[in-house]
Amino acid sequence: MKNRILFLFTLLLPLGAMAQDAAPAKTFWDDPINHPMTPFYALMVLVGVVTVLVFVVAIMLLQVLNTFVEKAAQEKAAALGIAYVKEPSWWTKLDRKLTNAVPMEKEATVMLDHNYDGIRELDNHLPPWWKWLFYGTIVWGVIYFVVYHVTDNAPLQEQEYENEVAMADAQLKKLRAAQPVASIDEEALAYTNDAALISKGQAIYKSNCASCHKDNGEGGIGPNLTDEYWLHGGSIKNIYATVKNGVPDKGMISWSAILKPEEMRDVSFFIMSIRGTNPANPKAPQGTVWKDTEVKTESVKVDSVQAQAGM
Amino acid sequence: MELEKFSYDNKIVKAFIIATVVFGLVGMLVGLTIALQLVWPIFNFDLQYTTFGRIRPLHTNAIIFAFVGNAMFAGVYYSMQRLLKTRMFNDTLSWINFWGWQTIILAAAITLPLGMTTSKEYAELEWPIDIAITLIWVVFGINMIGTILKRREQHMYVAIWFYIATFVTVAVLHVVNSFEMPVTLFKSYSFYAGVQDALVQWWYGHNAVAFFLTTPFLGLMYYYLPKAANRPVYSYRLSIIHFWSLIFIYIWAGPHHLLYSTLPDWAQSLGVVFSIMLIAPSWGGMLNGLLTLRGAWDRVREDVVLKFFVVAVTAYGMATLEGPLLSLKNINAIAHFTDWIVAHVHVGGLGWNGFMIFGMLYWLVPKMWDTKIYSNKLANLHFWLGTLGIIFYALPMYISGVVQSLMWKEFNAEGFLVYKNFLETTVQILPLHMLRATGGALYLTGAIIMTYNLIKTAYAGKFIANEDAEAAPLTTAAHGGTGWHAVLERKPLVFTTLALVAILIGGAIEMVPTFLIKSNVPTIASVKPYTPLELHGRDIYIREGCVNCHSQLVRPFRSETERYGEYSKSGEYVYDHPFLWGSKRTGPDLQRIGGKYNDSWHYYHMYDPGSVSAGSIMPSYPWLFEQVIDKDGTAGKISALRTIGVPYAEGFEEVANADMDKQAARIVENLQLEGIEVVPDAEIIALIAYLQRLGTDIKVKDAGVVANQ
Repeated sequence: MKNRILFLFTLLLPLGAMAQDAAPAKTFWDDPINHPMTPFYALMVLVGVVTVLVFVVAIMLLQVLNTFVEKAAQEKAAALGIAYVKEPSWWTKLDRKLTNAVPMEKEATVMLDHNYDGIRELDNHLPPWWKWLFYGTIVWGVIYFVVYHVTDNAPLQEQEYENEVAMADAQLKKLRAAQPVASIDEEALAYTNDAALISKGQAIYKSNCASCHKDNGEGGIGPNLTDEYWLHGGSIKNIYATVKNGVPDKGMISWSAILKPEEMRDVSFFIMSIRGTNPANPKAPQGTVWKDTEVKTESVKVDSVQAQAGM
Repeated sequence: MELEKFSYDNKIVKAFIIATVVFGLVGMLVGLTIALQLVWPIFNFDLQYTTFGRIRPLHTNAIIFAFVGNAMFAGVYYSMQRLLKTRMFNDTLSWINFWGWQTIILAAAITLPLGMTTSKEYAELEWPIDIAITLIWVVFGINMIGTILKRREQHMYVAIWFYIATFVTVAVLHVVNSFEMPVTLFKSYSFYAGVQDALVQWWYGHNAVAFFLTTPFLGLMYYYLPKAANRPVYSYRLSIIHFWSLIFIYIWAGPHHLLYSTLPDWAQSLGVVFSIMLIAPSWGGMLNGLLTLRGAWDRVREDVVLKFFVVAVTAYGMATLEGPLLSLKNINAIAHFTDWIVAHVHVGGLGWNGFMIFGMLYWLVPKMWDTKIYSNKLANLHFWLGTLGIIFYALPMYISGVVQSLMWKEFNAEGFLVYKNFLETTVQILPLHMLRATGGALYLTGAIIMTYNLIKTAYAGKFIANEDAEAAPLTTAAHGGTGWHAVLERKPLVFTTLALVAILIGGAIEMVPTFLIKSNVPTIASVKPYTPLELHGRDIYIREGCVNCHSQLVRPFRSETERYGEYSKSGEYVYDHPFLWGSKRTGPDLQRIGGKYNDSWHYYHMYDPGSVSAGSIMPSYPWLFEQVIDKDGTAGKISALRTIGVPYAEGFEEVANADMDKQAARIVENLQLEGIEVVPDAEIIALIAYLQRLGTDIKVKDAGVVANQ
């Protein structure tokens, strides 16, 4: 027990050490003891516990006080020779106020004269809060309808959608203005054997492309990417364009709405890097033999990366 | 005055009680199975009759119509005789009601796994069964009204009001929603199409909850709760106001199931405002129940029957506050299509209906067998297992719903969806689905314990088949209460007519304009009827119950248009008999799936989803590759659809199969190019054709939205 209290105290101490803790990736649960927010959390827990304790003590004190008051009232009543009637508790008062119910002792006054297989009915008032809730929802309903369909003060769903898209566009424009992305010049795109980029591309390939082209590029639903046959051109520019624009007729989707330009470049680099690797179970060749000197221009659509990013 | 002697029919109640318990266990077991399927696809057993898409409707139908339905009949048949001081109108009708209902359930249990379904939620049963339901329901109605007319009690008690409202409304809902065009004995097309079908279906679906799961159970509450508590009902005037406001307002709220759909905005808004106005009328029932327990709360601690009732009524109050809140557009935008809704209905189903039934059975069985409950301890154990079951079910599903929804909607600073692959969001919530299955298992365990307890109780006692009673005959002289409502309570036929009027108004105001005013559904010139092959594919999609997991409705949210494509327009659905919007996305939306992948992707994906999407929980559909398309049925389908307004040219039936062969040959060729050999008549070809067509009509060049004036 003593140790635990000491531990709690040590949590409160290193407040000054917060600034030095510069490991941003760690979440609280990785290292709760040294986490910069730990003292704050601990303090909050302590405050919570103290609050509960204060409440408990206060309620007990009130109860004690209440017994004294009651006793005094009883004595007073006895001295005056009248019957002592207990004050109803605040809970009973609140309950009565909310439900406007006839007290149980006086139930007979609202008992209806019917009897259905032994079931009697009281005729209590409607609980006031319930009645006002009902009125409130009706008023709310009328206002809602007027706002949307009479005065047209609130956007209906199509307008709401347009607003949402416009807001996202504006945000993106602002972001682009603040931190321009190095655009990818598709015209000048050239394959480099950069291991870092290729390994990034490989990760993207695994999670997005492998379901159709298989893990090692041997092809499945999509064509083999490791042989020398290509349907839409085998140059880096062709591959980038195919990734970006897709081949909708054949089920290759356009990845430009899903991958960033650098990501599309990296995955294209990875695809270049696996050419000629002869993986197991290759899919039969599709398309024509590709020679590095050709450039299949018609499938490369020129359209600037900035324009796409600003979409 | 001389007392008349007569007897109450307990035998019919006993029969309905047995059916309740048996079908309750079956329905819950199927529920547990589908819960497991959503974590481990192996529980689909690789059989076409036991895939999730086919047995999820079996679960909902078994619980709603077999478990809750039989319990409703049991409770109504017992209480109505006593509240009206008479035996049921006609014993033969009672037994036709019983056996007819069980036959319908049996027919459902056979046809649903066979894939015979209309696909409309909670109305999946095909047209011959629909007719049988109508007939049996009318038998129930005649028996009920007859009993009311020969009553010895001058006034109808509040429970009877609710029974009357239940009878008339369910009749109207069922008949209107089941308008369908038969093609064969077990295949039909909904009379309505697209957005209109959606409106009718959710007017029905929502009010099936209102008038099959709620009003009869409020009636039961008004009988069994004061009986068990031995306390007078709290407030007669609250009963009156909440009864009439509840049945009048409930019927309007259906469109809240279609928020952000292509239903006209005005109809959606009606759904929103009437849902909010429904809070107080619903809570009126809860308050009248809970306040009736004033002065009996000390007994709630000991009496297991009251314990069940208190939790039931509380669950009712929670669900009926949550429902209206879910109808607010901004909350609905998060909750719709997610597990949140599943949690919501199970608070109602497990909490309100289940616990009302359990409480009622623990009260009825000892009474009818003239003994005491066999074991109070076991009943208490059941209570706690059930309560824990509800908590373990609902909490994980709330979390899972919100987590998945937020994942669907999350964008990064670059404006890209963070979780582009839908599957990532599915995998994320699987642990929560495991917890949910645990909750379901606890609840089922409780029900099994109850079954044992009730059987032991019955064996310990002696069944009273005909309970003797006596009462004075009905006098014509009015007594008690001269208020307008007291007068109404003496006139059952006027009362029934007024209830009917109250429930017709809302539906009529929402439906008539949506059907008659063309601008409510702007047509799109490029939208054409399905080709015969696509039509067969669509029927396979319906048969396999794909709609249970996949929606076909892209809502106008940026997160959805980025993920799926252009948001849906009502003109796109004008030939969809029935509509297939769905109500839950366990998998991604399919409205824009057409042309997204190539034919071989679909081929491999349907054969083994995991091979294309690693970690997918979708079952495999190998039988689609062996079974062939039913070409003999093509002509019948075309002419049935033409009858209900799809513009197929006269005589198209004759060439439909040739047209189909041509389209199939193109797909077969595409697959051959990918090295896949397939039977040209295999069902998979039709399904691929349908999937590739989905949502592509508006991409056709020169498509324009023209409002038909």
